[in-house]
Amino acid sequence: MAFLTDFLTRRGAYLLATWRIWRDTARFAGRAFVTAATPSAYNSATRGVVMKQIYFTAVQILPGFTLFAALLSFVLIQIVVGTAGEFGLSEYALEVSMRLLVLELLPLVTALFVALRSGSAINTEVALMKIHGEIEAMEDAGVDTLRLEFMPRVIGGMISVLALTAVTSVLALALAYLAVYGPQWWSLPDFNRVMGKVFDTPVLFGILFKSLAFGLAVTVIPVSEGLATPRKLFMAPISVLRGMVRLFFALMLIEVAFLAVNYI
Amino acid sequence: MITRVQWLADDAERRALIAAHPESILVSPDMPLRANLSVLDNIAVIPQYRSNLAYDPAADQAWALLGRVDMTGMAFKRDPDLSHDERFVAKLLRAAIARPPVILVDRPGMLLPDCHHPPRVAALLERLADLLNDCWILDYTWNAPLYPHR
Repeated sequence: MAFLTDFLTRRGAYLLATWRIWRDTARFAGRAFVTAATPSAYNSATRGVVMKQIYFTAVQILPGFTLFAALLSFVLIQIVVGTAGEFGLSEYALEVSMRLLVLELLPLVTALFVALRSGSAINTEVALMKIHGEIEAMEDAGVDTLRLEFMPRVIGGMISVLALTAVTSVLALALAYLAVYGPQWWSLPDFNRVMGKVFDTPVLFGILFKSLAFGLAVTVIPVSEGLATPRKLFMAPISVLRGMVRLFFALMLIEVAFLAVNYI
Repeated sequence: MITRVQWLADDAERRALIAAHPESILVSPDMPLRANLSVLDNIAVIPQYRSNLAYDPAADQAWALLGRVDMTGMAFKRDPDLSHDERFVAKLLRAAIARPPVILVDRPGMLLPDCHHPPRVAALLERLADLLNDCWILDYTWNAPLYPHR
């Protein structure tokens, strides 16, 4: 009986700790959203942080990431077109490849790339700010760190994920056209008809919401995990580890949720 | 500006005094600069944020303050590259630019461990006298012999 009590107490404590961190993340997301929706929250300092965040998250990686996305799209389109041809289903090749790439794969790959590159950096920076007392110092000087440091990162991250997804999706559309119709432009009406069938209004809103949800996750989870770091230097790598694991599961849950809504 | 030394018996008294003055800004070893901002940006971000100033006029204000204390040479350095004296000046100017009712200089001996700190602090405060309201120096009683006038 003592063993069972001990076991349940430990499991309960773990579950409570997990629940608290997700609750704090949701609270932080809510506060960031409310602040972001308040026009008076923006000044030259916050705008500067938003621009820096977009630069470091989207602009700096644009050439390399676009090249990678083009390569990935090209290979997958070739596989889909080739396989569809083998089964006598060539007329569905374009639609299937666009559903696979633009609706599912490219937004997820973009979010994972931004999470690895910027999410981990944000988590580390916020954890070190917390450990060194920089957040308290700014608050003591009368600066609201949510407004100056954290909300602009969330906005910048969301815009970056959305923009990168849009760029890679347009590139995938162009590559799919080339793969299916070849380098000529008179098949554009056929292409437009298929695209119109795939990307109707609910689907377009679905991509938009999914990209925004990914953008929110890749910034909110690292920031909230960094803010939850105890003020001990050895906790910095543990904070980043936890943040990245939580972020991975959150991204996968968002993807699964959108798959379920679209296809089940 | 009124400058005074607040003598403290122990850490608990120090914490109580700081807690009793929430309107003050603390210049303290416990209040670091933002590590990823230069000294100039650490000072400029205060009027940018508090007074909605654009970056250029805020940076001009910060530059003018650095000029007052002849420390413009450190404007583009970041925290890890600063000496103790430079770091102290940056923290003091970050507090001064906000024009709070009281600036609390917390344990100056920890902020300036490499020099005889009372004259250095006094000289800096003298140069900023017309910008500051009250400035209290919080130090322990056993450091009293370091100060010229008690």
